[in-house]
Amino acid sequence: MAALVETQDLKKYFKSGAGLVHAVDNISLKIEEGETVGLVGESGCGKSTLGRTLIHLNESTDGKIIFNGKDVTKLNKKQMKDFRKDVQMIFQDPYSSLNPRETVSDIIMEPLKLDGSFSREEIKNRTRELMDIVGIEKRLRMSYPHELDGGRRQRVGIARALALKPKFIVCDEPVSALDVSIQAQILNLLMDLQKDMGLTYLFITHDMSVVKHISNQICVMYLGQMVEMCDKKELFAYPLHPYTKALLSAIPTTDIHNRKERIILKGEIKSPINPGPGCRFASRCPYADESCNQGVQACEVRPGHYVVCNKAKEINQL
Amino acid sequence: MAESKEKFFELRNLTVKYHSGSSIIHAVNDVSLDLNAGETLGLVGETGAGKTTIAKSILRILSENSVESIDGEILFEGRRILDMEDKEMQAIRGKSISMIFQDPMTALNPVKTVLSQIAEGYKLHHNCTKAEANKRAIEMLEMVGIGEDRAEEYPHQFSGGMKQRVVIALALACSPRLLLADEPTTALDVTIQAQVLDLIRDLRNKLGTAMILITHDLGVVAEVCDKVAVIYAGRIIEKGTLEDIYDHPTHPYTCGLFAALPDMDKDVDRLSPIEGLPPDPSVIRDHCDFLERCPYACEKCKKFDNKMIEMTEGHFVRCWKANEEV
Repeated sequence: MAALVETQDLKKYFKSGAGLVHAVDNISLKIEEGETVGLVGESGCGKSTLGRTLIHLNESTDGKIIFNGKDVTKLNKKQMKDFRKDVQMIFQDPYSSLNPRETVSDIIMEPLKLDGSFSREEIKNRTRELMDIVGIEKRLRMSYPHELDGGRRQRVGIARALALKPKFIVCDEPVSALDVSIQAQILNLLMDLQKDMGLTYLFITHDMSVVKHISNQICVMYLGQMVEMCDKKELFAYPLHPYTKALLSAIPTTDIHNRKERIILKGEIKSPINPGPGCRFASRCPYADESCNQGVQACEVRPGHYVVCNKAKEINQL
Repeated sequence: MAESKEKFFELRNLTVKYHSGSSIIHAVNDVSLDLNAGETLGLVGETGAGKTTIAKSILRILSENSVESIDGEILFEGRRILDMEDKEMQAIRGKSISMIFQDPMTALNPVKTVLSQIAEGYKLHHNCTKAEANKRAIEMLEMVGIGEDRAEEYPHQFSGGMKQRVVIALALACSPRLLLADEPTTALDVTIQAQVLDLIRDLRNKLGTAMILITHDLGVVAEVCDKVAVIYAGRIIEKGTLEDIYDHPTHPYTCGLFAALPDMDKDVDRLSPIEGLPPDPSVIRDHCDFLERCPYACEKCKKFDNKMIEMTEGHFVRCWKANEEV
């Protein structure tokens, strides 16, 4: 299968009073068609910025984004409009991402109306169909977002994202605001939709058990940089980057008899403003030395398993 | 009620009602809990189950405008909190009992430095000089991993995780005897969460602080709690020791919660959500609150009273079928 989305050395910097915020720095990744790439990392590490930059909600600072073989940064107006149909986003907060003054059907209809190529009848039918697909009862058609619970609101957000039959959806923490019992409903829905429609997801989350459940590949980010990327099973079985190891060891489990050895990180998180060339995890890394602040290289340590750490081989005795 | 031995902290039949327009919201129904000194209780439930309302009733900080009534008893070291004079309560609030609020973004004052916010509470309760209070505040900040050089900064200059640590420092500055932690790590990343849980465990060991940990994260409860109470629609539906609940979950809702979690150790294709939604809180039911969503429900469930059944010593379940098929 060919990669649907690919980035090469993608950068996104924001200006701030104190300097340039390196929100996304030199990220190269590939997302195969029909697959889910899970993007994990701490809050503020640039996960959402990467997701938004991929679908061109933010203009990238440098680097390439290739979607379906075309460089997104070089599209003309007409091509951009087509690209916009192919990519969609599901937002984290189902409370603030829906217009409080529009009804459920208005919200779902809006992309169809904006597209301009559907008749009124088609829009009505498609809206009904979408509500059916995501499992919102017909009687809620004229309800306002505040009348719905979190799970249903998220379903409305998903219906809206599906309206124009996209190929690629960035799911930005779609279940973080939901209760466990509802979270399972939405995860099942997203996986069913992927199977039925051949969707490709970038699934952003900080919940490792969720990402393990839904992803094929996992990309771990730390302060704007990718630190590790590989197949899901590989990552959980052989985490190689010191940050990934700490991350996996820190997950609380419900197994009260087999407690894991935790790696508790010390030290403060580096500032993403003008961070310098070296590894950004160095300030918290138990293995770091002076050389880590000079620069850091990505390497393929095992087939398909990329680690951005100078000491990966040494630490893991490979 | 016979009091053989005085509990450190006890809730007896706590019932809280809010009014909302013309209807009454039954937020907390007949909740009884107890806690020994130094113990940690996990209060688990979904959004709207009444967890935060319980914590706020203990500190008596529920908004008077929206509360219809608070009934039952709250006993802290043998004293009735609900009957206290305001002044007496003020001496306890923030000192003997303090709370870590859920949302670090709104729990801090945006126009004061974090140092002055922590020092303020300490000074109020300890009748000390400003310098002493500041010293204590810096100690607390260092304990949660924030250096002295950042103490004079304002909340907006901190990340979410750091703000949460400031809130924790604030709650712990007066070395409380009882800490109410309302989703203290929900807004945090796992590595920071591990740091914070470590910190909380450490404090419990050092200061002997008892804690009620409110959360919906069963993993976090497993990390730090001795006892667990599961709350659904304002009622406790199962309570017991950590082992009781995790090794022998009995109520269908508790079992459903465990089943709905993605398992880190097993690969499953589909999760098993609990179908349906929590019941309308403005209606009080005399049968089981979980009836409509329960896979084991039958006609008989509609007729049975809502009593708790003691399975083994200290392990209570609010389901009449608990001893049978479930």
